[in-house]
Amino acid sequence: METIVQVRHLTKDFRVLHRNAGKWGAWNDFFHPQYRTIRAVDGISFDIQPGELIGYIGPNGAGKSTTIKMLTGLLVPTGGEILVKGMIPWKDRRKYVANIGVVFGQRRTLWWDLPVIDSLEVLKAIYRIPDSLFNHNLGMFRKILDLDSFLESPVRSLSLGQRMRAELCAAFLHNPALLFLDEPTIGLDVVAKERIREFIRHLHREGTTILLTTHDLTDVERLCERVMVLDWGKILYDGNLQELTSRFEGVNEMRVSFAENGEDGLLEGLEPPVREGRYYVYRIDPRKVSIPDLVSSLYRTHPVVDLEIRKPKLEDTIRKIYENKSLNTPD
Amino acid sequence: MIVIYSIKILWLLLKTQIRSQTQYRLSFLADVFTTAIFSSIYFLAFALILQRFETVAGWTLGEIAFLVGMTETSFAFMDLLFSGFDPDSFSPMVRMGSLDQFMVRPVSLTIQVLGSRLILRRLGRVLEGLAVLAFGIVTTQPDWTWLKTFYLPVVLVCQVICMGSIFMMGSTITFWTVERIEAVNILTYGGNELMSYPMNIYPRWLLFIFTYFVPFIFVNFYPTLYFLDKPDPLNFPVFAPFLTPLVAIGMALAAYWFWGYGLRHYQSTGT
Repeated sequence: METIVQVRHLTKDFRVLHRNAGKWGAWNDFFHPQYRTIRAVDGISFDIQPGELIGYIGPNGAGKSTTIKMLTGLLVPTGGEILVKGMIPWKDRRKYVANIGVVFGQRRTLWWDLPVIDSLEVLKAIYRIPDSLFNHNLGMFRKILDLDSFLESPVRSLSLGQRMRAELCAAFLHNPALLFLDEPTIGLDVVAKERIREFIRHLHREGTTILLTTHDLTDVERLCERVMVLDWGKILYDGNLQELTSRFEGVNEMRVSFAENGEDGLLEGLEPPVREGRYYVYRIDPRKVSIPDLVSSLYRTHPVVDLEIRKPKLEDTIRKIYENKSLNTPD
Repeated sequence: MIVIYSIKILWLLLKTQIRSQTQYRLSFLADVFTTAIFSSIYFLAFALILQRFETVAGWTLGEIAFLVGMTETSFAFMDLLFSGFDPDSFSPMVRMGSLDQFMVRPVSLTIQVLGSRLILRRLGRVLEGLAVLAFGIVTTQPDWTWLKTFYLPVVLVCQVICMGSIFMMGSTITFWTVERIEAVNILTYGGNELMSYPMNIYPRWLLFIFTYFVPFIFVNFYPTLYFLDKPDPLNFPVFAPFLTPLVAIGMALAAYWFWGYGLRHYQSTGT
C-alpha cells in the first residue's frame, strides 16, 4: 500500500514579540517592535503507512501541537513538505479536511447548547454523509462508546468523559482514513480512559491510520507499536516501542528477599545491592547478564523467599531520552 | 453547487442557534420586547428635544425619523445576521481556538463564522427601527414613485452589507491583535450614529472622510434626500443617491479580501 503521510524536512518558525519591561515598555513595543524567532519544529521527516497507530510524544513545548496543526492544514510550514494522501494540507483546505478526522482534547467541536444527536446531524450534513453510513457508524459507536445514556442531552450538561466520547464519535462519523487525536484522554478518569482506548483500538483494527498525541504514556504502552519522540522540535526517536525500551534503558531492577538475615547480599558479577526493608535491590543490565540464568542459579545457591524483576517504566525511558538528546533515531 | 451547499449549511447552523435560543419561548419574547423598548427610548428622547426646535438644518422630525429608521433597521438587522462577526464574540473565538475547530471542517470559514452565532434578541431593535421608519414615512408622506418603492429595499440591503463589511474588517483585525480593538466601534456603532443625522451638519473634514474614505454619505443621507425629494445642500451630481449599491459592492469586496488576507496570516502565524 502507498504511504499515507509523507513529511520531509518540516520546519516551523514563529516570530514572537519581545516585550520590553518598564514604564515605556508598551510604548517601545508599539513603535520599535523587536522580534525573536523561535523554531518550534526543526526539520523533521517521517512516513506513515496506512493502518499504523503511532504515538507522538514529547514534553510541553516540544512542537507536537505545531506538527499536528501543520498536518491538519491549520498552519502553513516555514519550510519542508507535507503530503497527505497526495494532498498538501494547507492548500485546498476544504477538500483536504473532508478526508481526515481531528480531535483536540482541550477544545470542543460539538455545539454547546444542542443535544449531542443534533450536533451529529449537523455534521452529517457538513460532511455529506449518506444515511446508510451515518446510521451504521452511529449504531456502532453507540455501542462501543456507550452513548445512549446522553445522546439526547445538551453538550453543556455532559461530564468530561461523556463529552470526549461524543467528540470521538463526531470526529469519526464520516469515516476518515486518517485520524489525528491530540490528548484524547486528558483529564479523564481511569475507566473513561480505558473506554476511549478501546475505541481507538477498534478503529485501528478497522484499518484507520491514527496519529495519537498524548502525555499519558499508558496510552502509548497500551495502544501503539510505533512511537515518535519529539523534543526541541526534533525527532529523537522513531521506531518500535519495545526496541525503544531496550535501547535506551538497559537497567532492570531485581528485588530479592532471602530466608536468612544478616547476609550482605553481595552476588558475583553484580553491583552491591541497595537494601529496601526485607529486599535487596540489584540493578541489572540485561545486555550483560542473562536474567533467566541469574535467577535459576540464585535459586540453586541461595535460600530465596521472594524474587521480582522490574522492567523499566516507559516514563523513565522517555525521561532518559529527553535528558540525553544526542541519541538519535536508529537508521 | 458549492453555493447551494454553503447556503444549506448556513441555514442549518442558524437553525440550531434559533432552536437553542427559543427553547424558553416566554423568556425569548420578553428579551426581544425589552430590547425593542430599550432601543426606542433613545429615539423618543431625541424626538422630545427636537420638538422644541421644529427643524434641524432644515429637517423636520418626520424626515429625521425616516433617516434614523433606515439606518436603525439595517444596523439592527446586520447586528443580528453578523452576530458571529461581532468583534466582541469573534475575538474570543480566535483566542480560544474555536477557529481552529472550524478550519478542520470542510465548510467555508465565512459560513461557519456567520453560523456560529445569531443573537435573536436583536430582533427587538429591528422592530424598533421599522417602527421609527414607519413613523417617518407616515409623517412625511413621501411621493412614492415605482422607482422609489423598488429602491427602498435595495438601499436597506446595501446598508446591511456596508455595515456588515465594517464588522468583518473589524473582526479581521483581531488576527493581529487577538484582543478586540475599541477603535473599530467608531466605525460600526459610530457609523450608525453618524448616518442617523443629516450629514450636512458635520464639519467639512468629517464629511470629507465619510465621502471619500468610508463613503457612508451615499449609504443613507443621499438615498433619503431622494426618497423625500429634498434639495441637496452639498451640490453633488444628481446620481449621488444611486451610488449606494456601488458603495456596498465595493465595501463587501474590500471586506472579503481583507478577511481572506487575515485568514492567510492566521494560517501562517497561528496564535
